[in-house]
Amino acid sequence: MRKALKFAALAGLLCTSLISTSASAGIDWKQSQGTEIRFLMNRHPFTTYIEPKVAEFEKLTGIKVVIEAFPEDQYRNKLTIELNSGGRVDGFMIMPGQDDLYYSKAGWLQPLDAYIADPKLTDASWDPKDFFASFAKASSVNGKQIGVVINAETSLLAYRKDLFTRFKQKVPTTMKELEAVAKFFHGKEVDGKKLVGITLRGKKAAATSQWVDFLYSFGGSWTNAKGKSNFASAQDIAAFKFYGDLLRKYGPQGGTMLHWAESTSAFMEGKAAMIYDANVFKALYENPKESKVAGEVGYAVIPAGPTGLRLPHVSNWSLSISKMSAPERQKAAWLFIQWATNKENCLGALLAGVPSGRKSSWDSKEYKANDKQPDWTAATMKSFDIGQGQWNPPVINVPEIRDITGQVIVDAIEGKDVAASAKKAAALMDKKMER
Amino acid sequence: MTAALSAITRFVDRRQRIFFPAPAVAVLFLIIVLPIAFNLYLTFTKWTVGLGQPQFIGFDNFVEAFGDERVWNGVRVMIYFSGASLALELGLGLLIAIYFNRAFRGSEAVQAIYIIPFAATPVAVALIWRIMLNPDIGVINYMLRSVGLPPGLWVSNEHMVIPTLVMVDVWKWTPMITLIVLAGLKSLPPDPYEAARIDGANPLQIFWYITLPLIRPVLIAALMLRSLDNLKEFDLIYTITQGGPGIASETLYLYSYNVSFGYFKAGYGSALMVVVFLVVLVFNVLMNRLRRDASAV
Repeated sequence: MRKALKFAALAGLLCTSLISTSASAGIDWKQSQGTEIRFLMNRHPFTTYIEPKVAEFEKLTGIKVVIEAFPEDQYRNKLTIELNSGGRVDGFMIMPGQDDLYYSKAGWLQPLDAYIADPKLTDASWDPKDFFASFAKASSVNGKQIGVVINAETSLLAYRKDLFTRFKQKVPTTMKELEAVAKFFHGKEVDGKKLVGITLRGKKAAATSQWVDFLYSFGGSWTNAKGKSNFASAQDIAAFKFYGDLLRKYGPQGGTMLHWAESTSAFMEGKAAMIYDANVFKALYENPKESKVAGEVGYAVIPAGPTGLRLPHVSNWSLSISKMSAPERQKAAWLFIQWATNKENCLGALLAGVPSGRKSSWDSKEYKANDKQPDWTAATMKSFDIGQGQWNPPVINVPEIRDITGQVIVDAIEGKDVAASAKKAAALMDKKMER
Repeated sequence: MTAALSAITRFVDRRQRIFFPAPAVAVLFLIIVLPIAFNLYLTFTKWTVGLGQPQFIGFDNFVEAFGDERVWNGVRVMIYFSGASLALELGLGLLIAIYFNRAFRGSEAVQAIYIIPFAATPVAVALIWRIMLNPDIGVINYMLRSVGLPPGLWVSNEHMVIPTLVMVDVWKWTPMITLIVLAGLKSLPPDPYEAARIDGANPLQIFWYITLPLIRPVLIAALMLRSLDNLKEFDLIYTITQGGPGIASETLYLYSYNVSFGYFKAGYGSALMVVVFLVVLVFNVLMNRLRRDASAV
């Protein structure tokens, strides 16, 4: 069987060279004809979008694609176990910000640069420059690209346009203004309801993915030049303190137990003037069935820190190729990834509600014609441009270090001695950090 | 052929003691002995699932646990939570059992309603408590506000979280203690009571000098049963707080779960599980001794 496949592939290759000399720059899509590849996927909106279209790809290439999709929690376990036990996986979905270092240390990620650079394997129309640079960087380990973005996210400040107009408040562009506006709205009675200034995530590890934007914008970082924890630095402490103070003084009660669900529902209930969280929650805020503030929400990039730095994070799901798969199947897997992330599919996915990592999708007429929140799009584009792909601590044991970080955030929200807590966490992080 | 068959039959017959329980022993070995043995082996290794093979490191995991602040926090939370909830459950359970141990109109209906919390699924109950305890949208604060009382932060405050969890645990599990104690009360002999009444003992004296000593073995049995679950309480705490705020309600059991299944550190997590196991074991050996002393009286 294998021989037959190889033969078929060879025959395909021969045909390629014959055709490609005569045809234009397009690659030979039939070059891996007869190969069967298996992709493990998260049951994500992108998967829902692409699955019914796979038949088109199979017709175009003669490659058989088996997609197995599972809900996210199950998916992560299934993938880890299959890769760990050397199961036959050719490609999979990965959240690089969460798993790239771990997967690459385990030897599961095939670098894609050679495929991308090879004009026989990558069609000119795929246009790698069309992807936001921040996402290509986010899907890279040690300078090698290990995935192609299929779902692009960032975080934004969302605010109540109606209240801001009514009380003549300006959208904050600096952290100082953010605090002032939060203070202004906090405790105000509006339509018989008492407002809070802003709502944020405060629940330990869950908070770190939003807090990190404050960390970066305050000029802080996870680790210093020596690779040690940077939590005890003045910038990091300032970021912890600002975030904790903001939530304690101008946020909902019980800030330390706020996950995104609690935080977004406070905003959707109309109880908060602002919220800082993932940009994709726009879908929640603007859903009139679930949200009392639908249609009243404005969006902005994170305010600038003390030195003028605005540095939000970007996070993404990517498609990757397993390093343990056979070269022939890896090639077929690359053809599949390339097809799934071409301009047409990225645009189609965006129109179906999956945020694209390609500039052309957002610039398209089709998207702009239906864009009900242009300020959201503009802020998202700006964040994608300036965003930082490393939103987790740069370590293998991400969950453990996030817990250590989360404890400082909790202490800051509770108004404890932040510097002492940060110093303690720094020592602990140095001890527990695995690279 | 038949000779061979009968030889086999004889062979099996003579060793019935071995052959008949063999399937059950094999299953037990597979599902109980083997996992425990593997867990014990893991306690002496450093192993992150997915990254290479377990490395033998001797007692390093236990040394690390000794210096790990979260372990000590876990022990403290465990003692606080279990001590308070077990004491309250035992005390309240006993009092309510005594109250139920007399005929009154509708006593059966009242008892049936009373055991509902105990009969309900822990995770479902915990999810509902979690919503009720929410400081903003929870019904508990709503009721407090509507009668003019100040609302509380409940599980969102590091000092309030354990008392609140104890309250939920007591609400859920006191009926179980009551049920056991009630069965014990119903089986007490009537003679000592008659004698006491004739001698003019008041109800308090009867309780103190007759009921309590007689019921003591049952109380200790109830405490043992409850402590087995309570010391490794998981579903209630995990569902309501996940150990938060911060680590204010993270018991040792919860921490070992986080280490094993959050951080995938199988070796260290196994070592912590063994520590939890030892705590439960020691507690129960002590209780058992108490019970034997009580029965000896």
